[in-house]
Amino acid sequence: MSVYEKIGGDAAVNAAVDIFYRKVLADDRISDFFDTVDMDAQHAKQKAFLTMAFGGPNSYTGKDMREAHKNMKLTDVHFGAVAENLVATLQELEVPQESIDEIVAICLSVKDDVLNV
Amino acid sequence: MNAVVFEGEPVALADGESVLDALLRQGHSIPNGCRAGVCQSCLLGAEDDVHIGAAQTGLSDAQKQLNYFLSCQCVPAEVINVRRVDTAGSRVEGVVVEKRQLNEQVWLLRLRADFDYLPGQYVTLWRDDSLARSYSLASLPSADGVIECHIRHYPGGQFSSWVANEAQAGDRVGVQGPLGKCVYSGDSERPLLLAAIGTGLAPIWGILRTALAQQHRGAINVVVGAKAPSDFYLHNELQLIAAMQPNVAVHLVCQDELAGTESFAVQQADIYQYCKQQFADMKGYGVYLCGAQTFVSKLRKQCFLAGANMADINADIFIPFGGP
Ligand SMILES: Cc1cc2nc3c(=O)[nH]c(=O)nc-3n(C[C@H](O)[C@H](O)[C@H](O)COP(=O)(O)OP(=O)(O)OC[C@H]3O[C@@H](n4cnc5c(N)ncnc54)[C@H](O)[C@@H]3O)c2cc1C
Ligand code: HEM
Repeated sequence: MSVYEKIGGDAAVNAAVDIFYRKVLADDRISDFFDTVDMDAQHAKQKAFLTMAFGGPNSYTGKDMREAHKNMKLTDVHFGAVAENLVATLQELEVPQESIDEIVAICLSVKDDVLNV
Repeated sequence: MNAVVFEGEPVALADGESVLDALLRQGHSIPNGCRAGVCQSCLLGAEDDVHIGAAQTGLSDAQKQLNYFLSCQCVPAEVINVRRVDTAGSRVEGVVVEKRQLNEQVWLLRLRADFDYLPGQYVTLWRDDSLARSYSLASLPSADGVIECHIRHYPGGQFSSWVANEAQAGDRVGVQGPLGKCVYSGDSERPLLLAAIGTGLAPIWGILRTALAQQHRGAINVVVGAKAPSDFYLHNELQLIAAMQPNVAVHLVCQDELAGTESFAVQQADIYQYCKQQFADMKGYGVYLCGAQTFVSKLRKQCFLAGANMADINADIFIPFGGP
């Protein structure tokens, strides 16, 4: 069973998205990246991000991840900030630590693509 | 090279260019309005449903089945065949029954037009086959089939100048719609924030009266923003409602300094600061935000950060002609 199924699938994404997005917008290290006019589109992308991070069904490739983050000049600091907010969100939702560990591992597996290194 | 084939004639598509932009560039006259996928005036039909899915957001199931799509939102990956469609079929005839000034800039336009809608939705009004603009519905559905719009006159504005200077009882306009989802949710216990600037009050006025008609029990906060005190309208009616309904509070907030001679209760404040202070914890709130894009975007973010769920924040953004 994937971690996505373990924590509740799409319902888990829906429960997490507002909490996560609120944390990201309040985090000065990264809020500028997410503070776009089209909040609906941004909200949909947050859901895509969470589905992917939870190991859920998605069709993004490493190349897509490079492409999606290409012009943002992201650094370890940005990546760490996103990961911290994600972990804090999962803790708030009382997701078991072992599932959190799995999710962090999924994020780390795409780190190089996201940072375009 | 990518292209759109319009009624048999190929028109080249530049990288990232929408079907609408390419056809306009080529000199075809395609009606259009918001260029943001909202007003639906730029509807075209495609030969098949490939490449148009993303440009069908907000269309009815029937329209989708006919392969109608919003040409302003369509950036096809490959060559597509498109044609004009009879959008007249998606309009009903409206007849002006009254127009009257609500304040120096805002006109009330009342039209007899027979269709079902929910207050807070909007319609696209067609002056003729090339001039279409969206307006929100301020009225409640009624047996006499008369709808009401609040239209701000922009000097030089094509549609609003027609309303202000020429429209008279008996004139005909096409009414397309209703469109949009910014409507009262029916959840009668939760607190509401209804916030508007300018003619954003039109949908808020409809939503407020629907909430009252459905005996909303939670607190209802109406916040109306304006530049100068003379920009307000319907403020006496709003304050009368607040005086009679214990759960309704009305906040009139204006940016300019007050002269002190205002005949109604208005405060000078920055509307964003004002809302931040008044509504610090918005958990569980139903939120309705109507008016110009910057206002809606800023307040939406603020409400979200103050704890409102994204799904509970409804917005009606008055995108001007030509796009945001
Ligand atoms: C979903 C939706 C709902 C709407 N509901 C309403 C409503 O209830 N009431 C209402 O009054 N309007 C509403 N609008 C805006 C309306 O559709 C028109 O954009 C507006 O009436 C101007 O049209 P016009 O033809 O008079 O001006 P245009 O001919 O389109 O514009 C000409 C000039 O007018 C000026 N102008 C036009 N719009 C603006 C603006 N927003 N800000 C500053 N200057 C401007 C500019 O100088 C512009 O170049 C809504 C828009 C949308 C998308
Ligand atoms: C854990 C690693 C990450 C994963 C798995 C991930 C995943 C995604 C996904 C799936 C999308 C949607 C792409 C699309 O459909 O267009 C996206 C978009 C985005 N990501 Fe990430 N992301 C990660 C890290 C980051 C970081 C560290 C930042 C910046 C601080 C960031 C900023 C963004 C932004 C701003 C967008 C939206 C781009 C747009 O609006 O088009 N991401 N990401």
